[in-house]
Amino acid sequence: MAQRAVWLISHEPGSPLCGTVRFSRRYPTVEKRATVFNGASYVPVPEDGPFLKALLFELRLLRDDKDFSESRDSCSHINKTSIYALPIGGEELWPVVAFMKNGMIYACVPLVEQTLSPRPPLISISGISQGFELLFGVQGFLYSGQKNDSELNTKLSQLPDLLLQACPFGTLLDANLQNSLDSINFASVTHPQKQPTWKAGTYKGKPQVSISITEKVKSMQYDKQDIADTWQVIGVVTCKCDLEGSMPNVTISLSLPTNGSPLQDILVHPCVTSLDSAILTSSSIDAADDSAFSGPYKFPLTPPLESFNLCYYTSQVPVPPILGFYQVKEEEVQLKITVNLKLHESVKNSFEFCEARIPFYNRGPVTHVEYKVSFGQLEVFREKSLLIWNIGQKFPKSMEISLSGTVTFGAKSHEKQPFDQICIGGTAYLKLHFRILDYTLTGCYADQHSVQVFASGKPKISTYRKLISSDYYIWNSKAPAPVTYGSLLL
Amino acid sequence: MGPTSRETWAQRLGTFRASPSAFMAGPEGEDLGRHLLSDLRSEKLSEPTKVSLLALSLEYPAQLWPDAPAAEVAATSLLDTLVLLPPRPSALRRPLLLAATTALAAGGALGPTSRASRRLLPLLLGLASGRDLGRSFGPASEQRPLQATAWECLRELESCKPGLLGGCLGLLRGLLGQEAAVQPLSLLLALALRNALVIQARARAGLQGLLVAGGCPTEGGPWNWMLAEEGDAHLQPQAPSWPAAEEGECCLAMLELSPEEARELRAAVAQLLDISYLLTPVAQAQLLWLLGWALRGLRGQPPVLFKPQLVRLLGTAQLTLLHAVLALKAAFGEALFTAQDEALLLRRLTLAAQHPALPLPAHLFYLHCLLNFPENWPLGPAGEEAAPLLLGFQLCRGLLPSLLHDPMALLARLHLLCLLCVEDEEKEEKGQDQSPRQYLEELLAGLRQRAALDGGPRALATLCFQASYLVARCLAGQPVVLTPLTHGLAQLYRARPALAPHFVDLLDRVGPELGEPLKVVLRQEVVSRPGRDEALRWHLQMLARVADGDAQSATLGFLQAAAARCTDCGLQQALLQVCRALLRAGVGGGLADLLQALARQLEDPDGRDHARLYYILLAHLEEPKLGVALGPSLAAPALASSLVAENQGFAAALMVQEAPAPIRLSMGPHRAKGPVPVLQLQVEVLEQVYSLELRFRVERQLYAPLGAVHVPCLCPGRPTRPLLLPLQPRRPAPARLAVRALYTTPSGLTCHAHLPPLLVNFADLFLPFPQPPEGAKLGFFEELWDSCLPKGTESRLWCPLGPHGLEALVSRHLEPFVVVAQPPTSYLIAIRLPPDSRLLLRLEAAQADGVPVALRTDDWAVLPLVGDYLRGLSAAG
Repeated sequence: MAQRAVWLISHEPGSPLCGTVRFSRRYPTVEKRATVFNGASYVPVPEDGPFLKALLFELRLLRDDKDFSESRDSCSHINKTSIYALPIGGEELWPVVAFMKNGMIYACVPLVEQTLSPRPPLISISGISQGFELLFGVQGFLYSGQKNDSELNTKLSQLPDLLLQACPFGTLLDANLQNSLDSINFASVTHPQKQPTWKAGTYKGKPQVSISITEKVKSMQYDKQDIADTWQVIGVVTCKCDLEGSMPNVTISLSLPTNGSPLQDILVHPCVTSLDSAILTSSSIDAADDSAFSGPYKFPLTPPLESFNLCYYTSQVPVPPILGFYQVKEEEVQLKITVNLKLHESVKNSFEFCEARIPFYNRGPVTHVEYKVSFGQLEVFREKSLLIWNIGQKFPKSMEISLSGTVTFGAKSHEKQPFDQICIGGTAYLKLHFRILDYTLTGCYADQHSVQVFASGKPKISTYRKLISSDYYIWNSKAPAPVTYGSLLL
Repeated sequence: MGPTSRETWAQRLGTFRASPSAFMAGPEGEDLGRHLLSDLRSEKLSEPTKVSLLALSLEYPAQLWPDAPAAEVAATSLLDTLVLLPPRPSALRRPLLLAATTALAAGGALGPTSRASRRLLPLLLGLASGRDLGRSFGPASEQRPLQATAWECLRELESCKPGLLGGCLGLLRGLLGQEAAVQPLSLLLALALRNALVIQARARAGLQGLLVAGGCPTEGGPWNWMLAEEGDAHLQPQAPSWPAAEEGECCLAMLELSPEEARELRAAVAQLLDISYLLTPVAQAQLLWLLGWALRGLRGQPPVLFKPQLVRLLGTAQLTLLHAVLALKAAFGEALFTAQDEALLLRRLTLAAQHPALPLPAHLFYLHCLLNFPENWPLGPAGEEAAPLLLGFQLCRGLLPSLLHDPMALLARLHLLCLLCVEDEEKEEKGQDQSPRQYLEELLAGLRQRAALDGGPRALATLCFQASYLVARCLAGQPVVLTPLTHGLAQLYRARPALAPHFVDLLDRVGPELGEPLKVVLRQEVVSRPGRDEALRWHLQMLARVADGDAQSATLGFLQAAAARCTDCGLQQALLQVCRALLRAGVGGGLADLLQALARQLEDPDGRDHARLYYILLAHLEEPKLGVALGPSLAAPALASSLVAENQGFAAALMVQEAPAPIRLSMGPHRAKGPVPVLQLQVEVLEQVYSLELRFRVERQLYAPLGAVHVPCLCPGRPTRPLLLPLQPRRPAPARLAVRALYTTPSGLTCHAHLPPLLVNFADLFLPFPQPPEGAKLGFFEELWDSCLPKGTESRLWCPLGPHGLEALVSRHLEPFVVVAQPPTSYLIAIRLPPDSRLLLRLEAAQADGVPVALRTDDWAVLPLVGDYLRGLSAAG
């Protein structure tokens, strides 16, 4: 269970190599074991240059995909996981765990403790999940709070030291690199006994606990007879517990009002010490019934020092917060559009912001727009072929607003206008963006009395809630739209 | 040489990292390791620079110190440097420990005879167990990180040399109760325990009190290498892959534990599991893998010890933890997971595979785990991906693919959908949901629609074909799926012929269930819709793959029409590829005509050669031999695609080789008859040849280009007929003909040879006029004679005669052209000179040694030729 090497590669589409190795680290003692375990099937870890080239090719990030290339485009060359075989110098390096996020490619090669021919199933290789955790950890570290390139560079320059701490010999000790950074800083503090490894030190100061619940709502609305609209709430509960003592015990409970929607698919942070089986089994996979567990959801835990995501959940609320339809009719060079949005009466009518983005793909630039809105303002971004309907902070009393208009397009020039592989022909969507503070769609909340702390001093407890939209699509009901299986009704 | 400066080192390290092999091959390579070690002690270099040197040695010890003795020297030097550090805080102690460990372990120097090993091991154990090692080990503030590092170093050494710490198990257990460094100690104990169990099992010994022995080889005492030496031959997987563990199982079953030993073992494992909560999630996962495999197959060690951990682990979203639970599932099966537990685990896995809070790579890995789930009672064949029995369609509803998914997610989910369709077919159940098969069809249609987008990225097309391939492979036995797929693909081809390479690739890879019908519809698609330029290229490429013996006339018709539009070399080659495919498929008659036409009409000489060659092959080889000639190699008859064949055996088999001339050509007697002059060529055969083709080129283009002459077979010693070569002179003049021969040897090679040039004499062009009726001859001649002027010319020559006189000379050389003869003194001779000239001779009043010749011609340019000719006649005899 170890890694032979790890790489960070920035993807630079304009540059000659299309990428640069920003960081790499090899583990020779693991490599030594690989030669023994893999035997005749052993393939050495290549140098950075050949690795970069092979990986970018495999990930289709080189520019030359104009011509059919059998080694990359063959129909039998199917990758169903982020684990690749890279052809390098006539041999295949496998398994290479790799994925790209925010223009950065994260890659590592886990040790396989047996022969590679035949290849064992991935599930049986312990280094695979460890490799993923390592890469997720690096990614989390690089992008936590990072806002610009210079911050990224600073964090990249810290990586060698951090990995020396978190993964000195290729066996990952802690995927939370921030924790490793803290433990370097906390090094001088004498640890009491039985301090969890994931807690770098102890907190000194005023006890306080903060709990914030963020719900994201996503939706696919079609306004069609044979296709059902879908929507789903995804919640994350983030906590920061500033409490004295090496292992303070805390129990946090989430509650629902009587008409609240049950939480499902709950995944908890590893610091949660035990879990009610009702929490473990409440799942969206089952057909909904009234017997669903509706809380309170209790999470006994020993909190780490830093802010952490106590749990994730999903929920199926009875109605989407905003119901809409969108119709697009093509009339020669122009499109006639109609949008209607209705806020559900049960939803708090007080937005931080609310807007509808109406993009037009695979067409020329917008040359002319004539429109009428019952509420809010419309902004036109001609070159981007985009309309933004600013709805503002509140829906009107009727809770219902509409937009109608015609949009005229200029000639299509391939480079400038946005291309989309879904919005072909009449297929089109509008996307809602909104945020409501101090509100959750499920009704889920954590109040001061729901937090039990077994530590010295009575902590100050603060709670926050918010609802934000995420992937909230309303599809043109006059044309085909992509559906998921769940949308198909008989 | 003095120490290198910081800048030089920075530059040197940069160059090294860019390409270690290139650096090591360069001038600085050899001494890099030595310089690095000496500069670590230099007082001029700053700590950060030294740390960067150590970082290099942590990554590239094999390059710096390539063999065990060098590694031993390096480790010794690193340890010396460590000991010599002044007792103030230093950032070098940790990396020095790591570097010494790495050098020994990676360099293969670790062992009882290595002095460095004998120094390092007690040092590490001393540091780790918190013993006071004196002032050289820095201030108290550094002790904790050094302690943790020492544990890690020991664990790495144990990993590389199993059994190394087997003698310290008792000590480690003791420390676990008191030490703060819970994680490194737990992991080391678990690893050493597991290794000791395996080694002892192999030696068929018990634990021999290892777990309780308090004594430890420290304080300068000798290290106990016994277990390590036994385990040496078998490097132990820390967390073996599942199939490999089967062997370990039988091995561990050999281990006979006494009741006390069993109790101690259980206590140790329970102790480790109880405090596992204090470990980071990744470390917990390692512990579970290690302990799971340590106890697997061990008699009398029920896995219930793990049970209290499971609920907590199942609740988390951590990839490593869930993976470790799956490893426990694989290790213990029903002994740890009841059917209900299995169902719960599956549900959690299903949930994790689609949970919106988790990243895509995690989703994909969980999907993989689902399809490779270690079931308690697996039904299908081992090693094949399948949906677990308990994973019904209801559970998978959220895991079905949609066009909105990322390509990898789409393919992974599509695979699951295919597996469900197989079951659906088997069950023939009609639920209230839309059938998965119908959904599959719609999804594939959507993928094809995207692939058809003109100018869309190739990745979209690739995805569509990958999906089609996956479906064809999983659902090969279901025509109800394959038929719409076939037609959908044909439609896609119609919409975007540029995808031809993808189609060819698909046809090469799918089985006959999809391949055969797809071939037919694609062929129809091509031949029924001849496209223009760009599309034509793709059509030809497509046809080269799908053309066969069926629908010959349509195919040939298409090709004939296409031939006219194949203007560039690439298109012509593509066209010939199709011909070649047809040739291999055994298509005869119509193809011969087409090939002949191509051999004449293609602009590209290479194309013409190919066409001619194919024609010759078609004309002269029987079908099986044709297959061999065109197949990928002579040894393995045709099976791969034409594309593959083209670059392998085909080239070898059909490449034209230069060779010495197998025949000799000479000019036969002149045949003065017919509308055009025809050369009679005599052939002398030197070697046996087949399918001989002779090509002639007229120098200075005096005649129209000459057609090739073909001979099926020539054998030495067998009489040959003369070859006839018609000439079409553009001017009545002698010429040189360059001659090349193209032929096949008895061994099947195609050869090419240059023959000596042939000389066409002036007289070889002579043709007679049609004979006028008897009585009108003189008038006919006089008419010709008169017609030559005024356009032409008249001349008089003296033609010397040999001893045989005029009569012999005329009969020998001019007989066919005589119009009026009055032997032996007077002859009137009329000669046609193609293309449209005439030469008239009056040979009258011959004397003993010569005859005066009056001549007229309508082409004055021939006069000098005539003079030479006549003067040469007597010499010729």
